[in-house]
Amino acid sequence: MTAARILMLAAIAAVLALGSVWQPFDPEAIDIAAALAPPGSRHWLGTDHLGRDILSRILVGGWRTLTVLAAVAALSFALGAVIGTSAALIGGGVAELLMRFAEFLAVLPSLVVALVITAIIGFTPATAGLALAIGHAGPFALMAYGLARRTVAEPYIEAARLLHIGRPRLVLRHILPNCWPTLAAYVAADLGRNVVGYAGLAFLGLGGAISSPDWGSMLYEYRSHLFDAPSLMLWPGAAIAVTATVLNLTLDPTVADTDDTA
Amino acid sequence: MILVGASLVAFAVLHAMPGDPVETELLAWGLPRSDEGVAFLRREWGLDRSWLAQYGLWLDRLVSGDWGRSIRTGRSLLDEFGDALPISLVMGCGGLLIGLVMALPLGFFAAQRPGGVIDQVTRSLSVISQSVPLFCLALAAIWLFAAELRLIRPFTGPAFERLLLPTLLIALYAVPRFSRVYRRELLLAINSPYCKFALAKGLSPRAVLWRHAHPVASAAMLAAVVSECGWVIGGTATAEVVFSLPGVSLFVVQSVGVRDYFVLQFYIVIMAAWMLAIGQAADAARAWLDPRTAP
Repeated sequence: MTAARILMLAAIAAVLALGSVWQPFDPEAIDIAAALAPPGSRHWLGTDHLGRDILSRILVGGWRTLTVLAAVAALSFALGAVIGTSAALIGGGVAELLMRFAEFLAVLPSLVVALVITAIIGFTPATAGLALAIGHAGPFALMAYGLARRTVAEPYIEAARLLHIGRPRLVLRHILPNCWPTLAAYVAADLGRNVVGYAGLAFLGLGGAISSPDWGSMLYEYRSHLFDAPSLMLWPGAAIAVTATVLNLTLDPTVADTDDTA
Repeated sequence: MILVGASLVAFAVLHAMPGDPVETELLAWGLPRSDEGVAFLRREWGLDRSWLAQYGLWLDRLVSGDWGRSIRTGRSLLDEFGDALPISLVMGCGGLLIGLVMALPLGFFAAQRPGGVIDQVTRSLSVISQSVPLFCLALAAIWLFAAELRLIRPFTGPAFERLLLPTLLIALYAVPRFSRVYRRELLLAINSPYCKFALAKGLSPRAVLWRHAHPVASAAMLAAVVSECGWVIGGTATAEVVFSLPGVSLFVVQSVGVRDYFVLQFYIVIMAAWMLAIGQAADAARAWLDPRTAP
């Protein structure tokens, strides 16, 4: 990874994290007198149709996006690692069954999962994160299984088993350290697509209340002003596009598809 | 087998829902809650029987087409899905078809000159399609073509005009997916011994690509087409919202919004049936395109 990439990544992460500690205005504060103000010294990016400060809403939306990204990454990593390594350790019919389950999770569309979760637990920001995490857990489990099975066959695992090291310790100390760099790379590669996925679910209203300052739901809310104030859509749209592009280009080697060695 | 699984999942979803259907119904009709009334409804709806018997009852209604009514619109769910499905399918399948037709030449020329202009264009499209959500571009397209240039009436025009933009956008997202796979497989094939032999025989690179590499690569591209096709009904969700087209996803999302969960059940069954049908069709097509993979 080049220095430029690390710099870009750090900049995006800093901007997303900034929303948690600082916004110029209350993102929910309505000020009808200042509605649809153009960008200026007071409201840097202008205000929306209710006079809310757009920069503040973008920053809060960024923090929410970052939270969802972290939750999805942690959850899908944990689920995938647990399913994959336990299948590799147990083996036999149970492994077969677990891998079938992982394949099922992998083909399950996240929209369907999100709808079902919404039906069961209602509209909360956790819905979108959970739906995305479940979808990603499938491929991770398959990958973790492949990695762990190779590790389990190594002589040092045999030695550890002969030393009567318990299963939890075996997994945590001897198997996972061998798998996690590869798994982490795949989790990171998915971050950009998760930004897009979360924006889509929020746009459909499955990421919490539709008036919440998520980038996706901002676009949903502002889209009725497409004809009279199209600039409202510029900022959330650009926020999604820039964040996803940077994450994709820096973390996912397959996106640019520059591999010509074929 | 998969259908039975999907119907079980759909049925289980209903059971996992919070709230008792009898209480909901009584509330909806504004009836006073009495123990006899509740007991009567439970018996009437078969809720006092085992879950297996309930599942049988539900399956029977599913197969016989008695799907009940939408709480939101009051119309029969069979009619609602019957009206909404064609819209999503025309948009989704039409988009994929246009995408496929465009992807073939683009992928072919990209493979012919790796690093050339067409290769660069499809590569950039690939990055954009993975980084910019469809609904962002859709909003931009409405703004440009409807608000600024006034070329099209995406909300008030006839059906063709309303479907045009979303279909083209779905095609735009399908093009890089298909063309990049096709290009990669063409390049893989061209380096294989049989293509090297054809080149050594004196055939031009283009002829080798088309006659020897294309059949194998198109079979591989089919896998990408199939995976897109399987998700075509749901993939149009945000486009349906942006263009306010009453497709399946919009209907389901709105129904879940008012807690009409029966709709969700039938949606899951329809999705599973569709994915299964696509899978079957794909197996047949693959055997036809690449006889080596035939069982």
